[in-house]
Amino acid sequence: MLSYNVKIAIKSLRRNPILTSLLIGAIALGICVSTTFIAVRHIFEKDPLPGKSQTLFNVRLDNWDPQRAWNAEDPKSLPTQITYRDMRELMKSNLPTRQTGTYRSRFFVHPDPKVARPYAENVRLVFTDFFPMFDFKFRYGGPWDKAADAKPEQVIVIGHQTNQKLFAGANSVGRTVRLEDRNYKVVGVLEPLRPAVLFYDMTQGGIGQLPEEIFMPFNFTPVLELQTFGNSDGWKGFDGDGYAAFLNSETVWIQFWAELPTPQKQAAYRDFVNNYVRDQKKLGRFQRPLHTEVTAMPDLIKELSSLPPAVRSLSIVSVLFLVVCSLNLVGLLLGKFLARVPEVSVRRALGASRLQVFWQHVVECELVGIAGGVIGLTLSIGLLKLIAKAIPNGEVIRLDTEMVLVSLFLSLVAGLVAGVYPSWRVCSVAPAMQLKVQ
Amino acid sequence: MGPIIRAMKHNRMRFALIIVEIAITLAIVTNAVNMILDERQKMLRQSGFDDENLISIGYQPFAPEFREESFVESLVQTDMRAIRSIPGVKAVAATGFLPWQGGGSSGTWKTEGYNDKFQAQLYAARGQLFETLDMEVAQGRAFVETDTPVETNVPTRVTIISRALAKKLWGDANPIGRVITNGEGGTPRTVIGVIDEFYNPYAWNIGEFVLFTPGRSYDGGGARFLLRVEPGAVKSVVSQLEPKLLAVNNGRVFRLLTVAEQKDNFFSAGKVVITAMTGIIIVLIFITGLGIVGITSLAVSERTRQIGTRRALGATRADILKHFLAENWLVTSAGLILGVVATYALNFALVSKLTDVKMPWYLVGIGIVMLWAIGIIATLPPALRAATVSPAIATRSV
Repeated sequence: MLSYNVKIAIKSLRRNPILTSLLIGAIALGICVSTTFIAVRHIFEKDPLPGKSQTLFNVRLDNWDPQRAWNAEDPKSLPTQITYRDMRELMKSNLPTRQTGTYRSRFFVHPDPKVARPYAENVRLVFTDFFPMFDFKFRYGGPWDKAADAKPEQVIVIGHQTNQKLFAGANSVGRTVRLEDRNYKVVGVLEPLRPAVLFYDMTQGGIGQLPEEIFMPFNFTPVLELQTFGNSDGWKGFDGDGYAAFLNSETVWIQFWAELPTPQKQAAYRDFVNNYVRDQKKLGRFQRPLHTEVTAMPDLIKELSSLPPAVRSLSIVSVLFLVVCSLNLVGLLLGKFLARVPEVSVRRALGASRLQVFWQHVVECELVGIAGGVIGLTLSIGLLKLIAKAIPNGEVIRLDTEMVLVSLFLSLVAGLVAGVYPSWRVCSVAPAMQLKVQ
Repeated sequence: MGPIIRAMKHNRMRFALIIVEIAITLAIVTNAVNMILDERQKMLRQSGFDDENLISIGYQPFAPEFREESFVESLVQTDMRAIRSIPGVKAVAATGFLPWQGGGSSGTWKTEGYNDKFQAQLYAARGQLFETLDMEVAQGRAFVETDTPVETNVPTRVTIISRALAKKLWGDANPIGRVITNGEGGTPRTVIGVIDEFYNPYAWNIGEFVLFTPGRSYDGGGARFLLRVEPGAVKSVVSQLEPKLLAVNNGRVFRLLTVAEQKDNFFSAGKVVITAMTGIIIVLIFITGLGIVGITSLAVSERTRQIGTRRALGATRADILKHFLAENWLVTSAGLILGVVATYALNFALVSKLTDVKMPWYLVGIGIVMLWAIGIIATLPPALRAATVSPAIATRSV
């Protein structure tokens, strides 16, 4: 029956190519615009690690000035990062399956002088848990082991681009890279990685930021007296001089993540964090009201993302645009179908049921919807490319499979919205009346 | 009017379609225009500087000699001399300030005469800062070489601030000689000068508030220079900068950016929003117009016989034309009433915070007038066709 309906529909659509292309064009336009702007929003709002992100929790503690909140205008605000000393204490918990403190620093890479001049590169300091926690995929080798964390050993994981640049893409595991004045052994090479949102570090909004190209054991921090290349905020002077005073200060500069797979563990961990702060209060720190946040990754991204509000606005407006396109088709289809009333009444008189006539016309509308959807989808790929080019670091903006499905679904809905009323009108024609007029 | 409305009752669905379409169109167009105006306002804002002719170049060192403070001090001076020697360069300063960065460095400050602590941008600069920004110190004096302490760890004692900040703190009173301290009351700095214009977009609405100091923005970790060139010389200076500075010292890497590029980057998302919204508005108006044409055409062809009958009973062509135009005007107006509600509903849905964007009433007014016009223009072709229907049609059976 369906194939018969499709056949009839194609025949009917061919009869009036101008009207048909107008119908398809309207849907294509609506789908192109809505798909494009929903896709832009979707790229930045979708779950970066489906299935995993709900078990990854970011820890925040309000260690700020008793006189003044982190954001002076919002007394409930708290710093987006924690201090070095608090990280050290939190790491002592064995509740999390995995955990890591992390921050971005910057090093000079000294390649073989024959290959390139020295250049500065962003380096992320992490514990080895970082890699499995955030599902990093390795092309060669893998993360360093716990022993390398503790010591720390002079090992690094490098990104795909750095591997291309320094080793022409070969398996570089076991080779060395010189950073500043030390040589580090490569233990792993990552697959190419370009997340739309820098999900493991949202402290600068996460949008338009590239992942680091080199990862190094966190414990080099005190050894090399490293500075963060990300945000660092303080409210209180240091007690004493030198790097040790900085590490011991109230300055926040480290992002802290714990993997907590079950609700029981999450509850227990929240208690642990609160109790830790209570203990610290006894020592005279944390003088603001007790406030800690253990936030799942998707919620943290929602809270800290620097996505411009216009992106959301555009996606809403574009869907309304599709609605208008679709409503327009109602008028056109009504005209087309009502012109066919004599033909339909003959079919009805020959025994076609109302439902059959109705379906026949709905199928015709859905064919228009799908054709328009496919064209619209193709156009939106082009439009997305233009947008990606117009924005710095915009190359993440493109269609993913999920969006393709959403777009095709939208085109079916648009076809249905446009077609139901005209189809119903045409199928409710009484056969006898029409035959009489004939 | 009575007969028109009675006639319309037979075609409720069709008119409901136009009403909804007009309502959504008005809502989209007004909100889109509102967003465009909002973005444009941000872009038209002047920085107060000669943006087109400014270049920023910074370096990061890897050579060990940069750990020596005295080495860096003399290198920065040599660098500035080298930059000035490039033909076309008018002035250069060593500063972390980059116009249109959309951020930078800031602090929390206190001063007598202003009750609260306040936030303002803070930039240290050496060399010809105000010549580079092409700006006069409007009141007081500019920095002189002796304003910069010889020792690197001693804070500067003087500052030049923007007019907007002086107004905020002390109203129209003379700002020269006032003292600004940090939030804890330390590192006092005396205001020695005021510049009239300054704008660098920043969080917390402190884009117009700045303290410039004659301090060092550079250390063993690198330096950044801002330079102004003669109009048209940007390209040639850009090509000479890096080789020239590499010749001074090659133990470092450079990052070069013109302020025009920086401004482009800063507004790139806004430009996409404007283009997209403009495109949507144009296509949408076209589509809504076509929709009205289509539905009115349908109404005309369905009522051909009735039109013929009316003509036969003495109605003039003008009467028929008027009938369709009045009908459309009623429908459009109903759509616009619904549209005003939809406009504010959409505005509400689009802003995340209630305090954000508001819908100016004149935009809604312009939108209404525009859609009325579009309604009439779109109705005219089918209505004119209706007017040409011959009275003889009434006598035919089909």
